[in-house]
Amino acid sequence: MMDTRDRPRWRWLILAGLAGYVALAAGCARQANNGPPVAIGVESQYANVLSQVGSPYVTVRAIETNPNTDPHEFEASPAVAREVARARLVVENGLGYDAWIEPIIAAVPKPDRRVLVVSQLLGLPADTVNPHLWYGVRTMPAVARAAAAAFAAMEPAHAAYFAANARRFDSSLAPWRAQIAAFRARYGGTPVAVTEPVADLLLQAAGCRILTPLALQLAVMNGTDPAPQDVAAEQTLLRDRLVKVFVYNQQVTNAMTASLLQLARAEHIPVVGVYETMPQPGYDYQSWMLAEMQALRAAVAHGVSTTTLGR
Amino acid sequence: MGEMSAVGLMGGFWSNQPVRVALAVGGCAALVCAVVGLSTVMRRQAFAGHALSDVSGAGGSAAYLLSINPLFGFLGIAAAAAGLMEWAQVREARERDLLTGVVLGAGLGLAALLLYLDMTVRSVSGAAITVLFGSMFTIPTSIVPVALAVAVAALGASALIFRPLLVTTLSVDLARAQGVSVRTTGLIQALALALAVSLSAMTVGAILSTALLIGPAAAALQVARRPASALALAVLIGLAATWGGVALAYQSYYWTPGHGWPVSFFIVMLIICAYLAASAVASRRAGAPAAVPLSGCQDH
Repeated sequence: MMDTRDRPRWRWLILAGLAGYVALAAGCARQANNGPPVAIGVESQYANVLSQVGSPYVTVRAIETNPNTDPHEFEASPAVAREVARARLVVENGLGYDAWIEPIIAAVPKPDRRVLVVSQLLGLPADTVNPHLWYGVRTMPAVARAAAAAFAAMEPAHAAYFAANARRFDSSLAPWRAQIAAFRARYGGTPVAVTEPVADLLLQAAGCRILTPLALQLAVMNGTDPAPQDVAAEQTLLRDRLVKVFVYNQQVTNAMTASLLQLARAEHIPVVGVYETMPQPGYDYQSWMLAEMQALRAAVAHGVSTTTLGR
Repeated sequence: MGEMSAVGLMGGFWSNQPVRVALAVGGCAALVCAVVGLSTVMRRQAFAGHALSDVSGAGGSAAYLLSINPLFGFLGIAAAAAGLMEWAQVREARERDLLTGVVLGAGLGLAALLLYLDMTVRSVSGAAITVLFGSMFTIPTSIVPVALAVAVAALGASALIFRPLLVTTLSVDLARAQGVSVRTTGLIQALALALAVSLSAMTVGAILSTALLIGPAAAALQVARRPASALALAVLIGLAATWGGVALAYQSYYWTPGHGWPVSFFIVMLIICAYLAASAVASRRAGAPAAVPLSGCQDH
């Protein structure tokens, strides 16, 4: 049992500790204001675009960078809260994909911090089913422009530099857009099967017909029990070779996707591995998207599988 | 017209491959669980059986990490835990419950770590749902022969010890007098329990697998008057609940368009219904002079 006379002393110790912590935190915050402003891209692909627009006048950090982890099931650590506390700009995907960041942002208020929600930037309704927006053709140019505007407000002296970078980023995606258009013209209507909706926006832009039931894609994405009807439908797509390509999400896998992969290989259906977050090292957003498109073309045109994008 | 559409709805049921795998693996699990569950309930080891299935969840989680057949994962940990609990041989019921509870907590804690690693290291999505609550329609076809082998082993072990176990359950002294090795019988029973639990965990998940182990046996023991009829009834209830659950989950796809309900939910609900029905039958009979209920055997 604790002696009651000890209590006041304990209380003072705790108060002193708290005061010290607050002072330390304030000190850290002051220190942070000295360097270039910090911007966070919650997913590595957003961070990559921010960096292409703002570097070196903005320090960019990413939170989800591990291409071997399922971002849908990410859990935040105290280190993330520290990063967010310093940031002047946070770019999050929205649509519940990275909803865990919102309480962290709310917990460390900062009046001069801007939060950019990509789904809102694109004007998408909140009930949009597929949250993997970065596979959309118009997503990242819009993010680059919004980032340039946000950076210009923080560092007005470099406004022209940020705007020029955003324009350069947009035009650097021209080869990708050209490849999508060429694929669409030549192979439009190609039937494909997928495991999960990650690359659906790109596949649709390329004119592919996604034959996998959406409910199955969502069950894999959300880690819920799929309906046997949908599993059987997917198996039929592969076994009867009703599709030309099997698009496989490398980051969201389970026993069923593994057995589907086996089935696709047994039926000699080319496999294209796709990723949730930017594969690293060796890729930036543009080269990643180009590589995915080239893999899709190689699969349809030559029957070649590109399971991983390791470099 | 209603009949017509019902036939149409169930049309693809038998030719649906995930359904076939679920029926095969679920059937094995139900059969083995009914048989092993009966002796588990009669020996008042329901809590130990529950703990074992929870603990086996750690093995199921580890299987993803090691990229091995999840059934082997469940089985490995369940067998180890069952051996440990049988080896400890705590006589007093209260102490046995405490030990079981501690082992259960440790097993679930280990499962929490392994599931975390599955998600962060191996990018396995939905591992927690699959391991803890089961995902019958995603069971790979390659598991069917393994499940059959496990079922045969478990039923063989149960058949081997059926008589001695029954005698031991009634009275340890009587068993000793008849030359039964109580220790060996207990060890084989523990092994059979581990096999049953791992099959069940594969079917309805580690958390719910107790339902399949205990439920049909408990329901059967309420109404059956002889071991043989209890066994037959438990098997019947277990199979009906499991296969009925698969059929209902298949049907549920058409209730809320495009979203099947989890099959584990239906199986567990059917087991509860069977238990309640058995209770009702038993209480009706209560007026009549009843034979000594089997579930009321004295704990040794």
